Amino acid sequence: MNRLHPRIRLLWIGRSLLTAAIFAGIAFGVGRVVDPAWLPAWAPLAVFVAFGGLGATFAVLRYRSWRFEVREDSLYLERGVLTRVRTVVPFVRIQHVDTSRSPTERLAGLASTVVYTAGSRGADVSVPGLTPGDADDLRERLKRLAIRSEGEDAV
Amino acid sequence: MPRSLSPLSVPYRVLQRGGGLAIGLAFVLGGGVNLPFLGPAGPLIVLAVAGVAAVALVGYETAYVRRFSYELTADTLDIDSGVLSRRSREIPLRRIQNVDISRNVIQRLLGIAVVSFETAGGGETEAQFRYVTFEEAKRLQKELARLKRGGTADAEGSVGEEPAAAPTEPESTELFALDRSELAILGALSIDFRVPGILFLLVSTLGSTVVSSYLSAVPGVALVVLAGVLFAAVAVVSWIVGAAAAIVEYYDFRLVRSGDELQYERGLLQRYDGSIPFDKIQTLTVADNPLKRHFGYATLYIETAGYTPGGSSGSRGSEAAIPLAKREHVLDLVEELEPVGDVDFERPPRRARRRYLVRSLLAVGVLTGILYAADSLLSLSIPWWPPLLLVPVAVLYAHATWRHRGRWLGEHHVVTRNGVLRRKTKIVPYYRIQTIIDSRSVFQRRLDLATVTVDTAGSLSLGGGDAAAVDVSGATADHVRTELEARLGLAVDAYRVGRAGIGIEDEYEQNGDDSESGSRGSESASLDDGESGGRSIADDEPGVRRDSTAEDESSRSGSPVDRTRDGQEGEDPDTSRGRDDPDD
Repeated sequence: MNRLHPRIRLLWIGRSLLTAAIFAGIAFGVGRVVDPAWLPAWAPLAVFVAFGGLGATFAVLRYRSWRFEVREDSLYLERGVLTRVRTVVPFVRIQHVDTSRSPTERLAGLASTVVYTAGSRGADVSVPGLTPGDADDLRERLKRLAIRSEGEDAV
Repeated sequence: MPRSLSPLSVPYRVLQRGGGLAIGLAFVLGGGVNLPFLGPAGPLIVLAVAGVAAVALVGYETAYVRRFSYELTADTLDIDSGVLSRRSREIPLRRIQNVDISRNVIQRLLGIAVVSFETAGGGETEAQFRYVTFEEAKRLQKELARLKRGGTADAEGSVGEEPAAAPTEPESTELFALDRSELAILGALSIDFRVPGILFLLVSTLGSTVVSSYLSAVPGVALVVLAGVLFAAVAVVSWIVGAAAAIVEYYDFRLVRSGDELQYERGLLQRYDGSIPFDKIQTLTVADNPLKRHFGYATLYIETAGYTPGGSSGSRGSEAAIPLAKREHVLDLVEELEPVGDVDFERPPRRARRRYLVRSLLAVGVLTGILYAADSLLSLSIPWWPPLLLVPVAVLYAHATWRHRGRWLGEHHVVTRNGVLRRKTKIVPYYRIQTIIDSRSVFQRRLDLATVTVDTAGSLSLGGGDAAAVDVSGATADHVRTELEARLGLAVDAYRVGRAGIGIEDEYEQNGDDSESGSRGSESASLDDGESGGRSIADDEPGVRRDSTAEDESSRSGSPVDRTRDGQEGEDPDTSRGRDDPDD
């Protein structure tokens, strides 16, 4: 079982802090403009700490829960904090494989590999938190395996 | 030789496009709309512009129809079209999912039809011929089916079973026809829930002032009576509209099996005429509700990857469906399309029922809470306790949820059943599995339960309606997951060898199943409520139709039945894993 690159935690924590900052900004704006009596001055800070803390905890837990494995006939993923999800993607059903790097991912020096099937859940299967090299390797490997397993069309 | 559209399509297209314009023009001229900026010669200028537009329209449509040419070759459908920007397309025949013909009243009088070709990709119909003669449309449909059979035989070498299954002129057998009484029942059961909304909108926009002034003038009791009458009237209208729509849509519904295709016809005013190749069927869904269950009726949906749900005509996804038929009838047809054999559902463990109980009691609790809050905060004089009377209903509902839920792994199919008020039994051939998703929420983990969802390429599944084994025990979920994966592998193997893992040729369902070791093995209407349950999947496997397996092998030698069993019991992992060999 492979795990994600540990740096993905920083990325996820960063994202949740950003979300928390946005919420804190909203709280700050409300305090400034509307200024309800029940809203104490430290509310934005509290909002930031609450959301940021929650997000960071989730990020760490999510990192701990993430596992993936390229098995003999399928790609297997395991993840999720509250709802634990295990996904099996048989190679015969892979339509195409992408690697993608969002701006934040590039900043953190990471990449993700996205696997597409013809299923109605389309791009549900993506493996984040890989180094660019690993992501390309995984893509190539999945591609080769998908070609080798040579699935007849299911559609 | 390339063919072109019917010459009659020019006038039809012109009228269709120009009809709206003409009405607008008549309104402008006849209604005497003032056009002061055009001066006294206004109407003349308008007429002149309209004349030019009409000529341009006729010219364009003539050019469009003349430019449009198509040709069926041995393995593609080539289409050249476009007046200003030209477009050439080649659609591989094997990629075509459905061919649909539709004709409205006027088109029927003119003898022309719209032909639509659906493929799995994209959000819309791949190609449409507007318009060809009805005979040509039928010819296309038939020819396509014929070429496809020939095409697969060519492409895959000596497939062998193809000629036997499909003689040059495939015989048609009628599988199902909706008779008058069924149509009547269908109409009676169809209520259009959009009507109340539309009526409400009409009333609120048009008659709000009238209604409010009227309302203030009548006493309270009359108001209640009025509300009751209004409610009844709305209900009756929705019912009538729903019934009329259902009857118009499904009038003279017929389902015919022709070679290895399924063809349907339906419609009173607009006739639909479509074909679904058997090998494109992704999922079969048998749906019913308590009322239908009580009277022994059910609905069947046939899913392919071709239709886009919520598409242009609303019910695209379910066009290939049997709107209503006797349950046995539906099950027979299911058996014909996907020979699942006897289904012996296994229920979730009893502890799952606790979840449903908690869930429905919570709903009652929340309802009571809201009423209580409203009562105390807004000081309305509504009693807060009536929802508590629903507690027994909640308990029954929880039990029913548990009772109707089930899953079954057959030889070629996985079958799941969920829902009480709208119960759906989904039949997914192993071969159609795309991904397998096992999810466990916090609450499920507390009880060691899991949900295994089977994702397919079917189009109805987009609404979250994938086949799912909900609330099975954790260990079972692990088992089901690996099992489904292994069986998909075997089904793909079997298919690759050239003998489809699923197929209409299977006759094994007729061999009975005396060897079934279950408590109710000999009941044939097996998709009905089963009271047995409690047997594990592992128990299911060895006993299932051992006698028929031998015959099976002679008739469809490549069936994954035997091999499934190997993989299943883990005796011979090499059989199931051997396909990793690159030479394969």
